[in-house]
Order: sequence, then C-alpha cells, then structure tokens
Amino acid sequence: MKNKCLFFLTFLVFLPILFQTGVKKKRPSSYDYGKVIINNFSEKLQIPPVTFNHWSHRANFTCRLCHIDIGFAMKGNETKITAKDNIEGKYCGSCHNGKYYFKDKKVFEACSKEKFEERCKNCHNLEKNGKNKENFIKFAENMPKDSFGNEIDWEKAEIEGKLKLIDRIENLNMPKKPEFKKPVDFKLNPKVEGLPNIIFSHTKHTDWMGCEGCHPEIFLGVKKGLTKYSMADIFQGKYCGFCHGSVAFPLVNCQKCHIEKVE
Amino acid sequence: MLFIFLLILFFSDFEKFLKLPEVPPEYKYGNVILNKFSQEKNIKSVIFPHWIHRKKYTCSVCHFELEIEMKGNANPINCITNKEGNFCGACHNGEISFKIEEKTCDKCHTGDIEWGKEKFYEFKKSIKSKENKYINWSELIEKGIINPKSTLKLDPEKIMKYDKTLQLEAEFFNIPTAIFSHKTHTKWHNCNNCHPDVFNIKKKTTHFYMEDILKGKYCGACHSKVAFPINFCRNCHTGIKRK
Repeated sequence: MKNKCLFFLTFLVFLPILFQTGVKKKRPSSYDYGKVIINNFSEKLQIPPVTFNHWSHRANFTCRLCHIDIGFAMKGNETKITAKDNIEGKYCGSCHNGKYYFKDKKVFEACSKEKFEERCKNCHNLEKNGKNKENFIKFAENMPKDSFGNEIDWEKAEIEGKLKLIDRIENLNMPKKPEFKKPVDFKLNPKVEGLPNIIFSHTKHTDWMGCEGCHPEIFLGVKKGLTKYSMADIFQGKYCGFCHGSVAFPLVNCQKCHIEKVE
Repeated sequence: MLFIFLLILFFSDFEKFLKLPEVPPEYKYGNVILNKFSQEKNIKSVIFPHWIHRKKYTCSVCHFELEIEMKGNANPINCITNKEGNFCGACHNGEISFKIEEKTCDKCHTGDIEWGKEKFYEFKKSIKSKENKYINWSELIEKGIINPKSTLKLDPEKIMKYDKTLQLEAEFFNIPTAIFSHKTHTKWHNCNNCHPDVFNIKKKTTHFYMEDILKGKYCGACHSKVAFPINFCRNCHTGIKRK
C-alpha cells in the first residue's frame, strides 16, 4: 500500500514535467517580460495579488540593490513579503516608505495600517495590458533596441548614459563597498564540439550585479572551472539561467553569448 | 511466440501499422485556417499559405522573431495588433509587402482552403520541380533556387551555426536509424525554435517515439504540418529499401 502511494506521488510530481516536453512554450510579450506575480498572502486576504514589473525598476536601480542590499530572493514568491514588513521599512518599504525622494518626487508609501483603496491598487493589481503596456511603450521608445525579452538593450542604454543607475540608498546603512578591480573577461568552451565559444564579460555584469550577486551562491568559487554546469542546467533556471530567461535577456538569444566564431 | 511477432513486424507494412495521417494535395499542405475572431464578426476566415511565405523567409523569422506560435490560432492576431506592427503587420505594412487596409482585406480573408491552387502550380513549374513529387524545400536552398531571408532583427553574420549530424536509433526492429542533419534544419531555424522546448539538450534524452511524433510532439511539431509529411519515411530513415 505504501509503495503504491509512493508511486502515485512520484507520478504526480513528474506529471507536469512529462507534459512539457516535445512542444513549444509561449513567450511573454516585451512589456510582460520580467513580470512577477506575488501572491503569498494577497488572495487569501481577498486582495488582488501584486504585479511587479522588473523593467520599471531596473530602469533606475541596479539588480544588486534589491537582491543583495534589500534582500529580495531571486525567485518570485520566495521572499514572503508581508504588509508588516513593508511598514517596518523592509523589502518594498525600503524605498516605498513615503519618505524616499526619487527625481525630486516622493515615492509612494507601500503598505500602511489603514487600507487606502487607491494606493493599494498601485501594486495590488492584476490589470493586464493596461497602464503597464502604455508606460512601457513610452519608456522603450527612446531606448536602444534589442531582440527578445524586453526588446531593450539595457546594457547599451547604460553605456550611452540613457540610464543612470542607483546602486545604493542611504537609509539601508550598508557597510561601505571595498574597491575591487574588475576581473577580466574570459572565454568558456562549450562541451559540444562545433559550437561557438562563449565570451563572458565581468565588466558587463558587475555594473548591475556587483560581485555578491553571483558569488559565492550561484557560482561557487572565483576560480575558473570550479563550478561545473551545462546548458541543460541553465535552461532549468540554474547558473546563468537565474537571471537570463526571467529578467536579463532570454536564453533564446543564443548568439549573444556564443560569440566567438568556430574555425 | 516472440518469433512470430517479429515475423509479423518484419513483413507488415509499417506505414499502415503506425496509422499515418493522409497526405493532402500539395497546394493545400501547410495552409492554416485562422479563425480566432473572424467568424464571430461575420468575416471570412484567413487562409494562411505557408508555401508563399517560406519562399522568401525562413521559419525562424515568423516563429521566433515575430513570436508567432507553432499552433494555428494560438496568437491573438487581429487588425489592431497588425496595425501596431506585430505579427502579420511586421511585414504587411506597405513597405515590405502589401499594407493591411480596407482595400486588402480580401487578400487574406479568403475563407477558401483551396486558395492559391493555380498560383502554387505556377510556382512549382517555375522552380522545375517534378509534378508528382512534393517540393524538396531544403534542396531549393542548397541549389540556390530560393534564398529566404533568415532574420529581420539580428545580424545574419552573428547567428549561431551548428552542423553536426545525429544518428537516431529506431524503436522498431528492422527499421534503419534516422539521420538528423542540423545543417539542413539550421537553414530554416534558429537553435531555439527547437531547443530546449521541443527537444531538450540532455545527453541521455528520451526516445522520440513515432507515436508521440504523430501526436505533434518532437519532430511532429513541424513535420506533417508544414515541413515534409511523416509519411515520407525514407527522408529520415534513409536506409529503408524501396519495394
């Protein structure tokens, strides 16, 4: 009996995986790329879940600021943010506290003890294709274009000075960052013969991620070759796939990493 | 008992054994009925002919760059999306091809699955393809008869290339291995048209059973719909002898 139960359970666990193979998946639209729906507690409390759009935040802040200093997990719904946290000035409340000024504009307060319908709607909103699409198209107009994902070349936009990223906010009282020399770019050889080599650029990554964004949790050591991973792992959302595929440019853009020509 | 079973397999007709779908006449093959909104609004449905488009553009232009799904009616294509420059509107804008406006509605909203029969045979004549044989599209590229554009957005020089040939062992006794050529496929596709959604890239991957392929999985995502029909066994299982 126990065995049967176990078998049934494993079957249930693998069922969704079985259905995923062999067919094509749908990709999100440019304005929906990087959208996270946060719904740990909202629906239970009969409030619409939070729709968080990465694009509007990464237009002004580095990844590191939220994912390291403020402490958001890299996976949606893993942080378990509550209204109480926000009121206490954690997570969203680090900036959305009604005191923080951004571009001479007061940033709206995230949560408060009283319920203000209008203000809650700023985040607790499942409205599809509404304001988000409009705002995104307006924002993307002046940005350098890229294919796939948000269809914005974020890296180029930063180099061209169209984005001025904020990496630190004062009220967090983070220790001062030591000065690091940026490590050099390096080459990665794919396991499969005949594929172009990958050129990994630290310079491109450190502006957004710092060091601590990737090391030591995602990529164990700082010594090359210590962490072994394959494209299959990456497609499952490990290693590079932590960001690429969900927020950073998607994995379908093969030629963006596999750059070096095969001889 | 096993011996008899093997004997039956040996002499039986695999094409019947697998219940292969019927092959439609070539001019109709790959025509898709798009009817997501048309019927509701009393407009004739759109008949989309793949053959006209694949003459000039590879699969990846529409199915990867323009993000048109591999299943008919899966995208919410309508007048507004087209006029915004999405889906059909990416090319049908008056610059690359005819503009979508009131005058041109009938060009696509034909409602006739037989549409383009004469045009197709004219095209077939112009490329000197044998009359009783399906067009071998990959051969057309090889010979330089057609030269479809492979990208609208990317630098064609930078697109990743890979041309390893794979040998896929057959599931049935007495069936020769299937030969899979990356080179032929990358002419039409970008890597991610197939990887990792349709085929994962694990080394010890699952067997792509013919049964699944017939259901539209794996190779069946394109073959039997637009790419040559599954019934052309010898195109992949090259070792099958002719009777």
